[in-house]
Amino acid sequence: MAHPDSQRLEAYFDNEISAPDAADIDLHVEQCAECRTQLQDLVRLRAALRQDLGHYQVPQAMRTRLARALDQESGTDSRRPSRVPFWAGAFGGACATAMVAVIAFVIFFPPPGNALVDQLVDAHLRSLMPDHLIDVESTDKHTVKPWFAGHADVSPAVGDFEQQGYRLMGGRADYVDRQRAAVIVYQHGAHLINVFSWADDRRGLPRSLTRNGYQLVFWRSGDLDYCAISDTAPDELQRLIGLLQALGELRGINPGVNRNPPG
Amino acid sequence: MDEKRRRFEAQVMPHLDAAFRFARWLSRSPGDADDIVQDAVLRAYRGFNALRGSDAKGWLLAIVRNCHATSVSQLRRRALVPLPEEHDVRDGHVLVADTGDPQHESILADEARTLDELIAALPQDYREVLILREIEELDYREIAGVVNVPIGTVMSRLSRARAALKKHWHLRASGDTHGTS
Repeated sequence: MAHPDSQRLEAYFDNEISAPDAADIDLHVEQCAECRTQLQDLVRLRAALRQDLGHYQVPQAMRTRLARALDQESGTDSRRPSRVPFWAGAFGGACATAMVAVIAFVIFFPPPGNALVDQLVDAHLRSLMPDHLIDVESTDKHTVKPWFAGHADVSPAVGDFEQQGYRLMGGRADYVDRQRAAVIVYQHGAHLINVFSWADDRRGLPRSLTRNGYQLVFWRSGDLDYCAISDTAPDELQRLIGLLQALGELRGINPGVNRNPPG
Repeated sequence: MDEKRRRFEAQVMPHLDAAFRFARWLSRSPGDADDIVQDAVLRAYRGFNALRGSDAKGWLLAIVRNCHATSVSQLRRRALVPLPEEHDVRDGHVLVADTGDPQHESILADEARTLDELIAALPQDYREVLILREIEELDYREIAGVVNVPIGTVMSRLSRARAALKKHWHLRASGDTHGTS
């Protein structure tokens, strides 16, 4: 197959082409270093843009001002049809007060796991910056896994699923929850997937979620907590997780213990 | 709170940050973004009954874009084009946290400003498509709806914006590889 032109390659990168067309480009990209470089550039550009420009948030003062403006607007709405009896007004006032209390509660007591999610998203974005992705570059699980022994606090299941479309690219150590987490890096088409793993501290894991356009899926296997994070489609991320979980089960009850499985 | 307001809070207000970011990158000024978003939210509320389907985000961003166009044409009519510097600090927005190690902070601020400047230097036709795709994660069809052009035009603008940005970004990265760690 000839090089896809840049618009077509970008449509592929943006998940905007049909599955058969995407499969064609998958095949081409496997063999074409030039197109791979272009895809990497697109991934990095997106990561840099999201990191630098994506964090602007509406200032609190402005939210307050907007709420007041909307109050006025909806006030004129409700005054038009009929006069509201006193008790309804009082009830409304009580509701508004309760609402403010709930909002304040959510702002000041964010659900647990937020800090962990922030750390993981930051680590993922950092890994997409030039030269931050991989510490040990290898497609061989027997190279990647022993490397963790000296560089991270845990030894996760490492598998190569190239047959299934998830190419092992290497490993990296990253700090998560004040531990040296082991990170396994996979490539799936144009997407990079970071699989973080760290020792389970029995505090419970956040539910899977989307943050800044990245999917985060958490699970526990043996005595390790895992989080896979990527901008790939959710079902494709789930497929890799299924493969990793199956691998963890193969390794027996205690996959976190630092020992290599035979074969 | 009445039913309309409650539905508005649930469907539209979650996209307020997106509206603010988009307004900020359209106008290139936080002060103007405030006014545009306030205007857009009130217009959205008044026209809320007309919203069909679930694409509240694209709908709100299209209104933001219209409000920006209106404010630009008003500015032109009044020939009131303020200097960028005095504009940026007008509302006292602090875009970079002023805590922590000053040297570290200044490196981060420099980086953000440079990428900011690259984006700001793009013509609006390209800038808006890029922001809607890369920051707001709209798909091509949604972007076409917001910007009101065919999907093919979205694709070619997006591609040219990325190419321009990549080129300058590479130049910058090759001149400064130490500041990013």
